[in-house]
Amino acid sequence: MTHAELAVWSKDLFNVALFAYLAAMVASFAYLAFRAKPLAWASTGLGVAGLLANVASIVTRGMAAGRTPWGNMYEYSAILAALVVVAYLVAVEWRAHLRTLGGFVYAFVVFTMAMAVQFFYVGPTDLLPALNSYWRQIHVTSMIAASSLLGIGCVFTILYLVKDRGERRRVAAMQAQEPPPILGAAVDADTPPDLLPEAGEPDPQPAPGGRRGPLPSAATLDRLAYRFIAFGFPIWTFGTICGAIWAQEAWGRYWGWDPKETWAFITWVIFAGYLHARATVGWKGRRAAVIALVGFVSLFVTYYAVNLWISGLHSYA
Amino acid sequence: MAPTAPTSEARPTLRRSLAIVWRSLRSMRTALILLLLLALASVAGSLLPQIPNSPDRVARYLVDHPLWGDLFWRAGLFDVFGSWWFTLITVLLFVSLVACLLPRSRAAIRAMRQRPVQAREIDSFRHVAELAAPGDAVSAVAAARRVLSRRLYRVEVAPDGAALAADKGALRELGSLVFHWAFVLLLLGVVIGKGFGYTGRATLAEGQTWTDAAVNYDALSLRPGRYASGDHTGVGIRLLSFRSDFRSTGVPMDFVSRVELLDAEGEVAGTEDIRVNHPASFGGLRIFQFGFGWAPVVAVEQAGTSISEGPLVLGQDRAPEGVSQLAMPWRGFLKLPSLRPQIAVELELWPDSDAFFRSLETGQPQPMLRQNAPFMNYTVWSGRLTDPSLRDLDTRSMEEIGSGVIGAGQTVDLEHACLVGGGGAGDETSSACPAGTPTTLTMAFPDLVRYSVLQVTKDVGVPIVLAAAILLLMGLLPALYTSRRKLWVRAEPDRDGVRLQIGGFALQRKPQFEEEFAKVVAAIADATGSSDASAREMVEAR
Repeated sequence: MTHAELAVWSKDLFNVALFAYLAAMVASFAYLAFRAKPLAWASTGLGVAGLLANVASIVTRGMAAGRTPWGNMYEYSAILAALVVVAYLVAVEWRAHLRTLGGFVYAFVVFTMAMAVQFFYVGPTDLLPALNSYWRQIHVTSMIAASSLLGIGCVFTILYLVKDRGERRRVAAMQAQEPPPILGAAVDADTPPDLLPEAGEPDPQPAPGGRRGPLPSAATLDRLAYRFIAFGFPIWTFGTICGAIWAQEAWGRYWGWDPKETWAFITWVIFAGYLHARATVGWKGRRAAVIALVGFVSLFVTYYAVNLWISGLHSYA
Repeated sequence: MAPTAPTSEARPTLRRSLAIVWRSLRSMRTALILLLLLALASVAGSLLPQIPNSPDRVARYLVDHPLWGDLFWRAGLFDVFGSWWFTLITVLLFVSLVACLLPRSRAAIRAMRQRPVQAREIDSFRHVAELAAPGDAVSAVAAARRVLSRRLYRVEVAPDGAALAADKGALRELGSLVFHWAFVLLLLGVVIGKGFGYTGRATLAEGQTWTDAAVNYDALSLRPGRYASGDHTGVGIRLLSFRSDFRSTGVPMDFVSRVELLDAEGEVAGTEDIRVNHPASFGGLRIFQFGFGWAPVVAVEQAGTSISEGPLVLGQDRAPEGVSQLAMPWRGFLKLPSLRPQIAVELELWPDSDAFFRSLETGQPQPMLRQNAPFMNYTVWSGRLTDPSLRDLDTRSMEEIGSGVIGAGQTVDLEHACLVGGGGAGDETSSACPAGTPTTLTMAFPDLVRYSVLQVTKDVGVPIVLAAAILLLMGLLPALYTSRRKLWVRAEPDRDGVRLQIGGFALQRKPQFEEEFAKVVAAIADATGSSDASAREMVEAR
């Protein structure tokens, strides 16, 4: 196959992956609404199919360009999507046996990939000399991996805030001797009040009967969010350090407050704030979650806005 | 507290106020707020153009937005990372950090010296189990100690040998401390490196030699650190050749400066290829490929005597939107202050005349990737020179006396703007001097060479910063992923054997500890020879 053919294959596979993830998202949301097992299987199957197409697209892209396929924003987005799906399938569906959260993760992935096609698509080309360094591979790989982990963590943080609000309301409603408000399809107004927020750290897997509504308990979501962020944070740190080492080699200074550097730093600072807030009385829970959300916004700015609107040394999109 | 009756202890003395300030600096809340402030300040620094990174954009901003520009200027928002308030936040953050770290480090050292403490009541812990084992209490506890030691627990056996206390996970606090102290080291490295070092740019054409001395750096490019002594190393760099490789599409592939490095005595110490991502290290300096361009060799003679000769470093016009930068001509000024009246020659270089003519034919600017029959448009000005810049000419006190075209290998008469014999490239736009013209002032263009811009940096802090970064990562991993766990075992004689009580809890990662506890109990059951049937486990989550 020629390089041009490979490039076309890569593009087609990317689209296949995008639509498979979209279908997986729909199936997963449908499962959330109707709780029919086949929908969950369909979601997982479509997710795996999308992942295979996604990986195949990345590989053919690399072959077409004759280099490791992480040289521009389009390529970063493809890898980010693949890593998010892998992390979700392994950590959430397989290890934690939670199948209700897929729709939110796939929504994030579909958004990332659609942005990539819309704004960042370029054919497989050579790299600028400044990008031609083995530090690029280490730096970029770890930054994408960290972004995907922090991204999933923030999806769960949003769900935690939603769920926590619902749980608080229900507790408040019960304390007022009123029937609980109906939230979601699975809520049954006659079930006994077993919904008080668990004291201390809850069981790793709450029994299905103990759950209320379509989502896992707020505490479970909070812990999942924390796990992903605490996993992503050191990788982000590592990636930023590698970036600094590379900058020292390429530009003669390890840190120059270039917009991308600045935003990587801002994101780092905010997630550091999140980790500290979780260990601080009065900041635990919702306040810490809000900090994580701010971190998510910052992550998006780091990933997209710096390349789209702010000019600097990292404007390679 | 009633404000009308202040007791003597409550009166705010200086000492007490300082204690309050110190205490609030130590709190995590303060650190959190300072961290978020730091992030906020950085946001401002990334949204507004910054003087160190893009002074031209700052200037444009000040012109376009006079009111806001002035306000932002006063607030230091155009140099956020060099502003006093950014420094203040950083300093406060580090004071807060150290204030928090000192007592924590002391406590950690104390805790590490302390042996695990025996428990009074074992069945009140979160995880408890009971085993029935044969033999006596001392040997059962010894077996349990071996199991726990193998699992890297720190174990302390009670004096009577019938009980033990164990713990694991001191690495968590240690890692956290290393992580946080690493920032102090990082700051130290940055301050030392930036404070005592310097950075600047050196421009040299092929064949030229550059020496590290303050005056030899490009104008305004030298940035000495705040505590830099002003001494330079005196080492030299000679540019042997510069090479740039492009794809036919104009995508750059490689830029290489081949240089000879000279020590302070001028002796050649070695030859090195400096390319993007591959700097050279020499004599305490790091030398990076920064930029490149064209330098026509120009020789001016007046009545047969040379008054100026050498390569002239040209700058490139900024490409308009949608035009490749490589298609733009190169421009510069040759200034001859010794003449009366003074003369300046504006030069516009087209290194590839093929590409130039193709641009004219197609109306599409063509990139010029290599040297190919180069030529220059020149304009001669006469009058009074007001500044020595090679990139600019103030024409207010000068008048244009002629203009023309000069090809490589040709010579022109500057006063009459006509060709004096030479190469004869057959360029129809250039006109030969009519026979009999008295030529006194001539400019020859014998050769076109490349020049290279190298960034020269001295930063002794880099190894410190790198060490800090490594420590930071090494501390972060155990700080986030290990957990502190405590276990106790007690054996009591029971009928023909002993009854082993095992209890424990984890301070972090509690769900994982449940599994680990079950495994430890099973291992102790194995080691003490308890039959599975006699193992009665009451692991429960409280």
